[in-house]
Amino acid sequence: MKKTITAFLGLLLFIGSGLVAAQQPDPAQRVTFEPMSTIHVAPGKATPVQFIFRVKPGLHINSNKPSAPELIPTVLHFSLPGDVVIGRVVYPPGQITSFPFDPTQKLSVYSGDVAIKARVVAPGSAAIGTYTIHANLRYQACDNNACYPPKTLPVTFNVSVGSSGHRAPRARPTRTSPHIHSN
Amino acid sequence: MKRSVIFVVAVVLVITALLMIGKYMSRNSGGNSTVAAVFQPASEGPKKGDPAPDFTLKTLEGKPLQLSSLHGKAVMVNFWATWCEPCKIETPWLVELQKKYGDQGFQVLGVAMDDAGEKAIGEFAHKMQMNYPVLLGTEKVADQYGGVEGLPTNYFLDRSGKVIGVERGLVSESVLVDNIVAALGNPAGSNSKSSTASAQ
Repeated sequence: MKKTITAFLGLLLFIGSGLVAAQQPDPAQRVTFEPMSTIHVAPGKATPVQFIFRVKPGLHINSNKPSAPELIPTVLHFSLPGDVVIGRVVYPPGQITSFPFDPTQKLSVYSGDVAIKARVVAPGSAAIGTYTIHANLRYQACDNNACYPPKTLPVTFNVSVGSSGHRAPRARPTRTSPHIHSN
Repeated sequence: MKRSVIFVVAVVLVITALLMIGKYMSRNSGGNSTVAAVFQPASEGPKKGDPAPDFTLKTLEGKPLQLSSLHGKAVMVNFWATWCEPCKIETPWLVELQKKYGDQGFQVLGVAMDDAGEKAIGEFAHKMQMNYPVLLGTEKVADQYGGVEGLPTNYFLDRSGKVIGVERGLVSESVLVDNIVAALGNPAGSNSKSSTASAQ
């Protein structure tokens, strides 16, 4: 019995350390995602949502509409299950800023907290349940004298489709967006 | 019965502790990281006095170019990308420096570190009137040079192929000139007028 318990606890520690490692943000990421609570939406209705991204201090990323064609825009891509739709994504306007490396040039950038707005829509035919949505933020960061390779930040959030936007019944299985495994 | 209760409590405690540790560590390594931590290259790469790692890369014209074939010249290996604004500031300086010091045996090598594709890189090089070879960079070569996380990154090699200076990020044109003069003046790579390897 003792051996079994020791082995089981060892296994738990092994799995747990994996969990701890999995929770570590990628140190190469220069933007982090503020975790959000489950979004509740009723079938046939839309819920406005705000995705908050945090650019590390001292860095900036290009806005969604950068000032030159060769600059890489910040874009949030969604992988959606059929029963949830994301309405038009609204990016904040860029901060028009010049940097020490070229005070004469104005660049359209984001720094600090970046709020990207969208509407989560559940069609009238949407099945009641909780959906895990996967998205990717594509961005390219710079500081005052260097730029870093473009990165993709994976983002996950839950949408609960229920009557009148209330919590969906627990009995329903969780669905995930296509091609990506849920966490 | 008592044993199983202790067992369940132990399991719950272990899981809770692991989750709390994970959350704590996640918070500490998240948005509050300092920029200084961001600047650290993935690895050191060659240091001053080290022989520059040799590589062969394809030029925009499709021909291979081997770094060691330039022994006898002072070489500036310039890692850049089309999406890098500071690189765009630096490039006209490099064009001028190539013109000014080329006769003395100075050679700029522009290593493009982006996936924009040959066509886009070629158009950019044409637009910027780059008068030096533009090579299509690879991860392997970047790894040889410490990962080259931040751009521009410049390595200055003397005529024997030894690294005499490293500059990470945009620096003033005069700093580049100091490195070039040092690289040109040291045929054997010794007694170099040292340039500060600024790890910014």
